[in-house]
Amino acid sequence: MEQISRRKFIHLSSVSGAFLVVGCVPGPNGDQQVITKVSADLAGLDLNQFISIGLDNSIILYNHRPEMGQGTFQSIPMILAEELEVDIDRVEIRQSEASRDLYGSQMVVGSRSIQTEFEKLRKMGAAARELLKQAAANTWNIGVDQCKASNGSVISEDGKVLTYGQLVEEANKLEPLENPPLKDPKDFKIIGKPVFRKDIPLKTNGEAKFGIDLYTPGMLYASVERSSVFLGKVKSYDDSETLKVPGVKFVFRTEREVYGRKREGVAVLAENYWSAVQGRKALNIEWDTLNLEEISNETITGDSYEAAKKDGDELFGKGDVKNVFKGNSTVIEAAYETPYQAHVPMEPMNAMVSIKDNSAEFWGSTQNPNGIRSFLSKKYEIPENAIKINYTFMGGGFGRRSMTDVAEEAADLSKKSGAPVKVIWTREDDQTQGPFRACSLNVCKAVLDVSGKINALEHKVIAQEIRNQTGDNMTAGRQLMGGINTEYLIPNLSVKGVLRKRHVPISYWRAVYHSTNPFAHESFIDELAHLAGKDPVKFRLDMLDHPRYRRVLSEVAKITNWNAPRPKGTGRGIATAERSGAFFAMVIEVMQKGKSVVPTKITTVLDLGICINPNTVKAQTEGSIVMGLGAAYAGLTIENGSIVEQNFDSYPQLKISQCPEIETLILKSEAPPDGAGESGLPTVAPALANAIFDLTGKRIRKLPIDMDGII
Amino acid sequence: MAKISLKINGQIREIDVDPNMPLLWTIRDHLGLTGTKYGCGIAQCGSCTVHLNGESVRSCVIPTGTIVDQEITTIEGLSKNNDHPVQLAWIQEQVPQCGYCQSGQIMSTAAMLKKNPNPSDEEIDNALNLVLCRCGCYPRIKKAIKQSIKM
Ligand code: FES
Ligand code: FES
Repeated sequence: MEQISRRKFIHLSSVSGAFLVVGCVPGPNGDQQVITKVSADLAGLDLNQFISIGLDNSIILYNHRPEMGQGTFQSIPMILAEELEVDIDRVEIRQSEASRDLYGSQMVVGSRSIQTEFEKLRKMGAAARELLKQAAANTWNIGVDQCKASNGSVISEDGKVLTYGQLVEEANKLEPLENPPLKDPKDFKIIGKPVFRKDIPLKTNGEAKFGIDLYTPGMLYASVERSSVFLGKVKSYDDSETLKVPGVKFVFRTEREVYGRKREGVAVLAENYWSAVQGRKALNIEWDTLNLEEISNETITGDSYEAAKKDGDELFGKGDVKNVFKGNSTVIEAAYETPYQAHVPMEPMNAMVSIKDNSAEFWGSTQNPNGIRSFLSKKYEIPENAIKINYTFMGGGFGRRSMTDVAEEAADLSKKSGAPVKVIWTREDDQTQGPFRACSLNVCKAVLDVSGKINALEHKVIAQEIRNQTGDNMTAGRQLMGGINTEYLIPNLSVKGVLRKRHVPISYWRAVYHSTNPFAHESFIDELAHLAGKDPVKFRLDMLDHPRYRRVLSEVAKITNWNAPRPKGTGRGIATAERSGAFFAMVIEVMQKGKSVVPTKITTVLDLGICINPNTVKAQTEGSIVMGLGAAYAGLTIENGSIVEQNFDSYPQLKISQCPEIETLILKSEAPPDGAGESGLPTVAPALANAIFDLTGKRIRKLPIDMDGII
Repeated sequence: MAKISLKINGQIREIDVDPNMPLLWTIRDHLGLTGTKYGCGIAQCGSCTVHLNGESVRSCVIPTGTIVDQEITTIEGLSKNNDHPVQLAWIQEQVPQCGYCQSGQIMSTAAMLKKNPNPSDEEIDNALNLVLCRCGCYPRIKKAIKQSIKM
C-alpha cells in the first residue's frame, strides 16, 4: 500500500506559468521512490501524475490502466474526481503514459485495477483538493477549516469563491498534505452513479484507435506461418513462390517464447497486409512435428482419467475425507469435463515494434505495457528509458493480451528487416495457436450423513497448470483449485490436484480456473442436494455462514421467486461463486422449445463492495455471462496434435439471438471495492447445467453442451 | 496491380491495388479508414461491415476490383457529427465495451433500419445474428435498437 507520507511535490515555477511537479509512487519492491515529472509547456499545474489543472480551469485526469472494455478509462478518473470535488462530466480524461516509475504496475489482469488502486487514487484526489483549499485559505488569510471544495472551486464560509484555475499559482508554492482526509463514502457524489463513459462516443464513429489500426512511416506488415502441431520445428522452407507475390519484401524465420517453450514460424513481410498473407500461403515449409500428431482429444481425456486414479496433491484439507470414504458403500461420485478454449478477442492479436541500435518503440494494444518494455530492454540490451511504449485501446483481451509474445515476434522481425514491423495474427492463428484455457477433468466424491448433509467431499482437479507447464516438477500448485468453494461447512473436505503437462500451451483466460472448476463444484453440490431431497438454495444456505455468500444467495432466490411454482416446460438452476473478492449468485431459467433447451433469463446478484460505476459493472457482468454461455456451448478439439476448429464457422461464438434476458442486481455496500471484470462468468455453466437437470432430469457433466441434443 | 477508382463516403478516391485484395484491406491500409475492422476474414463476424449502395455487406470477402462505381459508406461516413440515430442510441444505452465490433454493429443496424424501420425482435436477431460481439454487448444492442426506433 502506498504511503503518502513521504510523497513530495517539488515545484519549479518558471516563465509563463509553466510548472514542474514531482510525484511519488511505490518503487519496484514496494519501496518509496521519488520521481520527477516534467511538464515543460503546460500552462497549469500537474498536481500529481494523475491530475493536471490549468490556469483556465481545465482539468485533465489520467487513467493509468489500459482499457480493453472493462471501463477503467472512466472509473479510475471517477475516483479521482470524487475526492478532487470536480464535475466528472466536465473533466478531460486522458490515457496516461506507460511508466512503472510513475504508476507502479499498469497491468490489467484478474479484475484488479479498482481493488488495488482505489485507496491510492482517493489519496491522490484528496491531496490535490487539500492543496487547493490551503491555497485559498492562504489567499484569504483564513483557516483551511473555513474553506470547502466544491465543483472545481474553493468556497469560504462567508461565501468568497476562487476557482481551481485561479488557485493554481498559489497552490504551486505549497507542499501537499502527508495524509489528506478522505471523504466519508456516504458523501460520495460520483462513485456509485451510472456515469456515462467518455470512451464510448469514440467507439461509435470509428475514431477509437486500436493496435491493429496504427501506422508509422516505413512500416512493413507481417504474417507468420506456424506449425499447427504446437512446438513443431521448422526443418526447411522454400520461399521462391512467396517472393514472387507483389508487395512481399522479406521472408524470415522467427520465434517467440510461450511459457518457457520456443515456438517457431516463418514470417512474410510485405508492404501491405494482404500481400503478406498471400505470400504466406505460397510458402512451402517442412515441419518437424516431433511425433506430437499422436495427441488428440481422445488421448488427452484418456490420460486425464488415468491420472485421476492417482492420489494427487492436497491443496486444501480439513477433517479426514479418506477415513469417511474407507469401506463406505454410499460414496457418490461424478466426473466433469471441460474443453480447451481460445480467448478470441475480436481484435486479433497484433503488435508493431521498431528496434533500432540504441532505442526501441512499441505500438499496440496490450494489457501489460511495462512488461513489453522490460522484455524489449532485456532482450535487446536497450535501457528502459530508451524504449517508448504507445499503448492503445484493446479490442478485447481476456487475458491473452497480458503476454508479450506477439511483440516479441514483431521485435525480432524489425531487428531482421531494419523497418518497423506490424505483425497481425489471422483469426485462424488466434484460434489454433493459443495459448488456451486449459481443458480439465474434475472428479468429485461425497458422502451424505443421515440428515442429508454433506459429511465428506473430495474435489480432484486433473489439469495443466499455467504457472508450471514445463520441467520435471509434477507437484500440483494452488492455482489449480481456483473457484472451488471451501466456505461450505463440510466437516471433511479435501481439494486435490493432479498436475498434467502437455504440449498444448495454456494461459490465463477470463476468470482462469474459476471458469472451469465451479462448473464441477456447483453442479456436484446440486446433484447432492437432489440426492438428499433438498431444495438447492436451502441446501446451500444450510451449509454457509459466510455472510456475503448468504446475502447473494438469499437475494437472488428472492428476486427470482425461487419458491414460487413454475410453469410446465421450464426449469431453473442456481450457482454461487467468488472471484477476485466479489461474491455472486446466479439463477438461470430455461425452457423447452421443440427439441431444444433455451435459457430465457439470467439473474445475477453481486456483492462487490463499493461499486464505482454500476453501468460498467453491469456491462461487465453481461459480458461475463455472454462469454460463459459461449464457453458452455462451444469448445476446441485436438486432433493430430493440432486444433481442429479454424475460425468462427467451426468455433461459433455466442450470437445475439442466443442471448437471453439478463438482469443484474448490485447490492449496496460500503466495503472496499472488489474485482468486477469476471463476476458471473464462473456461475454460468453450473447454473445452466442445474437448470437443464431441473427441466429434463438429465445431468450435464461435460462441456460443451449441445442444447439441441438434450431432449 | 491496377488503378481503381472508388466512391467512398461521398468522395472519389483513386488507388493502385491488386484488384483481388478484399475491400476491407483497401479501406484500411490504402485509404486509411481504420474504423472498419478485421475480425475473421470469412464473412462470419460482421466487424468489417460497410454499406454498398445502402446495403450492408462484408468487406472482407469482396474483391476491390468488383465494386468500381458503386457507393461505399464506412462508419466514418455514416454521419458527420456522430449523430446518426443509431449512434445516438448507442451512446444513450452505453453499448460499447472494448468497441472493436461496434462499427460493424452500427453499420448493420443502420442498414437494417433503413429497410425496416420497425423490426420485430426476430427480425433484429436475423439481421444481426452474425455480427459478433465478444464483449457481450447484446442486451444493450437490443435496447439501443428499440431506442433508435423512437428517435
Ligand atoms: S472480418 Fe468480415 S465478417 Fe469477419
Ligand atoms: S464491444 Fe468488444 S467485441 Fe463488441
